[in-house]
Amino acid sequence: MTRAALAVAIVAALAATVAAALHLSPALLAFAAALAAFAIASAAGSAALALRGPDDLREPRHERGPSRLEALPDDMVTRGGVFGRMWTYALGAFVVLGAVPFVALARKPGPRGTAWTGGARVVDVDGRALRADDVAVGGVETVFPEYHVGAPESATLLIRLEDDALRTRPERVGWAPHGNVAYSKICTHAGCPVAIYRHESYQLYCPCHQSVFDVLDAAKPLSGPATRALPQLALDVDAAGFLIARGDYTEPVGPDDWWRTP
Amino acid sequence: MMVRRIGRFFDERLGSDSAVRYFAAKIYPDHWSFYFGEFALYAFAMLVATGMWLTFVYDASPARAYASVAALSRDAPVGYLMRQVHHWSAVTFVAAILVHMARIFFTAAFRKPRELNWIVGVLLLVLASLTGFTGYSLPNDVLSGTGVRIADSVLLALPFAGPWAADVFTGGGYPGPLLLSHLYTIHVYFLPVAIAGLLLAHLGMLTYQKHTQFVADPTHVVGRRFWPDYALRTLAALGATVGVILALAGTFEINPIEQYGEYRDYIVPNPAAPDWYAAFLDGALRLGPGFELRIAGHPIPAIFWPGIALPLLVFAVVIVWPWIDAYATRDARKHHVLEPPSGAPWRVGAGVTLIVAGFVLTLAASDDQQSRSLHVSVTALVTFYRWALPLASLGAGAIAVVLARDVGARAEGRSRKSERVVALRRNARGGFDEERPKSA
Repeated sequence: MTRAALAVAIVAALAATVAAALHLSPALLAFAAALAAFAIASAAGSAALALRGPDDLREPRHERGPSRLEALPDDMVTRGGVFGRMWTYALGAFVVLGAVPFVALARKPGPRGTAWTGGARVVDVDGRALRADDVAVGGVETVFPEYHVGAPESATLLIRLEDDALRTRPERVGWAPHGNVAYSKICTHAGCPVAIYRHESYQLYCPCHQSVFDVLDAAKPLSGPATRALPQLALDVDAAGFLIARGDYTEPVGPDDWWRTP
Repeated sequence: MMVRRIGRFFDERLGSDSAVRYFAAKIYPDHWSFYFGEFALYAFAMLVATGMWLTFVYDASPARAYASVAALSRDAPVGYLMRQVHHWSAVTFVAAILVHMARIFFTAAFRKPRELNWIVGVLLLVLASLTGFTGYSLPNDVLSGTGVRIADSVLLALPFAGPWAADVFTGGGYPGPLLLSHLYTIHVYFLPVAIAGLLLAHLGMLTYQKHTQFVADPTHVVGRRFWPDYALRTLAALGATVGVILALAGTFEINPIEQYGEYRDYIVPNPAAPDWYAAFLDGALRLGPGFELRIAGHPIPAIFWPGIALPLLVFAVVIVWPWIDAYATRDARKHHVLEPPSGAPWRVGAGVTLIVAGFVLTLAASDDQQSRSLHVSVTALVTFYRWALPLASLGAGAIAVVLARDVGARAEGRSRKSERVVALRRNARGGFDEERPKSA
């Protein structure tokens, strides 16, 4: 049995080698190699069972510890008092020194700003500038500032609503020309792209943790773990009829942190 | 013979024969449940072997990382298989550690004097999961990239130090220029070195303290010699581990990144879920409370509770479990003989509660897919899982306590029966002596 299994292992291993050399399918290579491994396991298992030795051999357990070391020189460790602990202080000071380079790794983090600036044209992911009626009512497009497609934190959702559907807040009047409303695509919960829009309910869904945002009401969270609305990008239309940003987002984009100013 | 000459070479210089003889004659207790740790060890060996190969084809620069991994699938079958085997080994590694840990827990092998090795084992599980996560993220595909983005958000949510920590992690902003480079160094250097070191400590302590056993002889190890008995058994375990991993890799494609595409921070896969061993955290993030606490004007983001506080709490409880257990049993003595689960029903209950809680959170990580197939709203599912988390885990724990008690009572009944008196003999003083069967 053991020898037969070992013979299978040899043949299977050689077959796997040939399969690799001839660029045969990965599955064939994997199965041949697996067969070789299983054959070796069977050989070892059958050899172990063939031993038939006793399974109740005994070896005494020696109780470990506590053991008494020869005491270290008293004045190094055990003597109390401020001066008696100088060894501890000196070594401790060195440990603190050692931590300095690691703390120095952390610079003051810059603001996680976006690439949006006042007057920047709104373009789709292929860099095509969009006019106010390029997105049909009920449509949605991922947009970036012109020349900055893919810029970090700048991904924005352009949603075309019916002209008077949006419940506009007084401070945001005129931000959504011809029903073109733009919200940050970076979820305020964990930073995933808020990718799913359903026009029949005017809701945005984040596929990562299922937060739901109300597009008609400033993208406020309706359910799920998100606590903050998606920031809105103020839009306008330039003289040539293209959608432009009025400026960068006025609130921080993406997930919250300790230092985020409200 | 060649082996003998090599042996003599080392013996003449190091006196190694006595050590070889000592370890060859060492006695190991045997039980099928003792092999899960070995499966984990051999999965780690596979990880190192395939991982070293993969470092020669991987390119950690943001522009070329995805292409360098995707190329593996197009070119020779060996490269494709190496990645498949590596990923399946990682999954096997974590799974084997978890089952091994459950075995240790339910048989109380963590009791004094083995608390230290329990801690080392828990750390190994954490490091294994982190290594899995960082490795899974290296291809820079859109699925894993989304996971890294979430990890970055969790890091950001750390009170006070979050933005600094996230900045160091990514090299500035998101996705930072050094993100992949950092993940790569952490994955192939820091974590494996730490795992190897802790593994040595784990096995060293095991050898020094000797293995626990079910045989009720507290002063002796009872089992078989290492050579040849246990050596053959562990070789069989090695062959089985390698064989299972290779067969899995050949049968089921894992993480087909070419179907996901390269990471862009404005694209997200749907459904989006991590590898199974990290899914409980994803589930916790989905069920997490939607409120933001403020301390002196500073936000504690909602993601802090499920993303940082919960895992830290679980980790702390698991780490100090040997002491909780010793306190609850009023038993701080040393133990070398394992306790069957029925010996401590409440311990079974605690373990089952934790396992079921992890299971519920893992299920919650696919609530969107369940919503689609069951035609129930995600909001309703979230409510359902929020209730199911405490109710199902505590309920299952309570049932486990009852079952373990029942099994314990039956086992005790059996042993009492086997001790029944078979004969009474008159003794010299005129009384009776009870004679019991010699076995048991």
